[in-house]
Amino acid sequence: MVETKKIKWMFKKDMMVLWRHKPRLISLILFPIIMITLFGYGMGGTLTNIPVVVVSQSNGPVTDATLNAIKSTNLYDVTNVINDPTKGKQMVMNGQDKAAIILPSNYDDMQSQTPKNVIIDADSSDQMATGALIPTTQALFSQISNQIGIQELQSMGLSSSAAQSSQIQVTSQTPSQVLSNPVALSSGINFQNIVNSINFQINKLYGNISYIDFLVPGVLAMVVLFSCMFGMGESIAGERERGELARLFMTPTSIATIVGGKILSKLVQETGRAIILIVVAIALFGIVIAGSMLLTLLLLVLVALCFVGFGIMISARVSTQEDYMQMVQPITLPMMFMSGVFYPVETMPWIFQKIAYILPLTYANDALRAVMLKGAGIGAIWVDVVVLLGFTVVFFALGVKSFNRDV
Amino acid sequence: MKYCVETFDLTKNYRDFSAVDNLKMKIKNKGIFGFLGPNGAGKTTTIKMLTCLTLPTSGTATVAGHDILKNPNEVRQKIGMIPQKVSLYGDLTVKENIHLCGDFYGVPEDLRDSRADELMEMVDIKYAENKYVSQLSGGMKQKASVVASLIHQPDILFMDEPTIGLDPTTKRILWDLVEELNSEGRSIILCSHDMYEVELLCDDVGIINRGVLAAFDTPQGLKDTMIKERKNEKTSRSSNVTKIVDEIQKEASPEEKASFDKIKDYVEKKNRDSMELSVMINNLDENVLSHLKNLPITYEITKQHSGRIVIDMEDSEESVNQIIASIIENNGNITSISTKDPSLEDVFMKVTAKKEEVGEE
Repeated sequence: MVETKKIKWMFKKDMMVLWRHKPRLISLILFPIIMITLFGYGMGGTLTNIPVVVVSQSNGPVTDATLNAIKSTNLYDVTNVINDPTKGKQMVMNGQDKAAIILPSNYDDMQSQTPKNVIIDADSSDQMATGALIPTTQALFSQISNQIGIQELQSMGLSSSAAQSSQIQVTSQTPSQVLSNPVALSSGINFQNIVNSINFQINKLYGNISYIDFLVPGVLAMVVLFSCMFGMGESIAGERERGELARLFMTPTSIATIVGGKILSKLVQETGRAIILIVVAIALFGIVIAGSMLLTLLLLVLVALCFVGFGIMISARVSTQEDYMQMVQPITLPMMFMSGVFYPVETMPWIFQKIAYILPLTYANDALRAVMLKGAGIGAIWVDVVVLLGFTVVFFALGVKSFNRDV
Repeated sequence: MKYCVETFDLTKNYRDFSAVDNLKMKIKNKGIFGFLGPNGAGKTTTIKMLTCLTLPTSGTATVAGHDILKNPNEVRQKIGMIPQKVSLYGDLTVKENIHLCGDFYGVPEDLRDSRADELMEMVDIKYAENKYVSQLSGGMKQKASVVASLIHQPDILFMDEPTIGLDPTTKRILWDLVEELNSEGRSIILCSHDMYEVELLCDDVGIINRGVLAAFDTPQGLKDTMIKERKNEKTSRSSNVTKIVDEIQKEASPEEKASFDKIKDYVEKKNRDSMELSVMINNLDENVLSHLKNLPITYEITKQHSGRIVIDMEDSEESVNQIIASIIENNGNITSISTKDPSLEDVFMKVTAKKEEVGEE
């Protein structure tokens, strides 16, 4: 039997307590603002092993040398070398890889003076990965380009001293300085095309996304995680410790009713908190939500529900707030770092990657990023939604089942 | 319904420790029952089991005719509980807390409001109905807790040390309320360490010690039992000494026999039926004391402060008259006189000490 009146009372009581407990109310408003400001302005880090796919459409020594150069750079983790550019792009869009490095079909043609177009299709929704991939890849191909240019000059019969001189200049100077070489200028050859033998083209698949854009979905989920988990400590373990819960347990009221009331009030608070977070992120950092705002909010409600369930499960048997906090901290802190809030999950050591996929926050981040950055709809995030719903059901079932009515 | 509470081998274990051990107890309906016991004896655990706040490890009980295991919600609807620790929401006002409880018990809104007003008036807290509970004194919080516990008009009211730390006026208000509720036909189960409170209010008393019911009777019944036990103890002690002396006398010389007779007389005299009389004499002096000591009915006199003496003497009305006459003859000014019967506290001390000895064995 749904005890609506009692659930309403629980909700009303929590809202009144929140309103009258000004420090809690201030924290509810300030916490998301502080979090997003701190992360927006202060975060940094070094990435390695970003999964990339290389699309190679020609064979030859230059391709081999390029592949070796890519593989030997620890920023990349080359998951596949294929020959279909469309498939490469698709692998990035599926989330399998963070970028596709597409080498053109004339890549090994040393005779042609036509620039070789190297394309990088990057998952710009992962700003951290893209931010690290683009400059490194640019620098790598710039160096390869110079070396190809030198080889071409040599093959055109320029004196070894001139070539040698150019080679020295290429490695130590910029390409523009190569062009001003008097030996090269006197020969009347189109050096522009020879030295800049590779054109580097970057396709950001989801547009220009700044770090704050990347961070906001993760921070949203993280803030919801923390406030739900810590809030449930006060809400259940705290009330149990102060004897307030005992007063309700003296009445003919089921555990499900009490838990239901707690969920309702927590959900409203968390939705409010999420709205503040989004508004602040838009106002301060100009982030753009590519997908549906409603879907974003619904996702946040689901994430809040999931973590409220988690909090209820843990607080079900503990008798003091202190005990609750001792149990929650070792779970929430590692979860924050292992769920891809700050770094892509794929760049973490394999054991952390495995753990990440049993943490609900990973799915929350994934779904929120897909909606907010890639503009994904429910069809693209249904797996994350189902997993989060699954976690929620399990948490609530275990929480209600193991809830200790003893006071 | 004859009994408001009936327990059947009610047991609660916490790991290896048995807080309540096979408790069998029947509490009369519509009475005031005092539940006593030293700290950690199992009182609060028993009350928690009876109010469905904790599950028994084994056994069960019926409260207001409902089984605590099979029908806990029916039990909860029929009982009210004033816990040891006030458990109202500090950030809600008195009125809001009471309304919340009323709604949780399913009291219709209009009835809830009128009852809340009536009860608040009764315990004199109506003037503070809009104050937050966190702003109230201990006594006022307790009064609010009482109102919240009575809003659904329970048949049985459990009170776990309700007057602890309260001033005499607030205590008196609560005692009056208990008596009034009882006169309306409600059963009251009162856990307390205050023997005066229990003696004043309770029809029956149960003493629990180490999880076991050590005594159960009316307050007077318990005291009478103690008096009887004391008499039996003295008689048995006297007869034992006499037997031993008789044995020794068989081989004694006539002079020694005379000495032994004196010992026998003294022991018999000392262990005869005796009573204690407490007398306050505002001009107590050595003359009065020596005359009292020389009376044949006097066994022992203990001098206390402010002219009070406690006389261990022969148990008869005539003896009391002799004592009074002796004091007056020697110009003593009697300001108060009373017999010193065992109190409920004496009973409590004896029962719990006895069980402790058994426990230690």
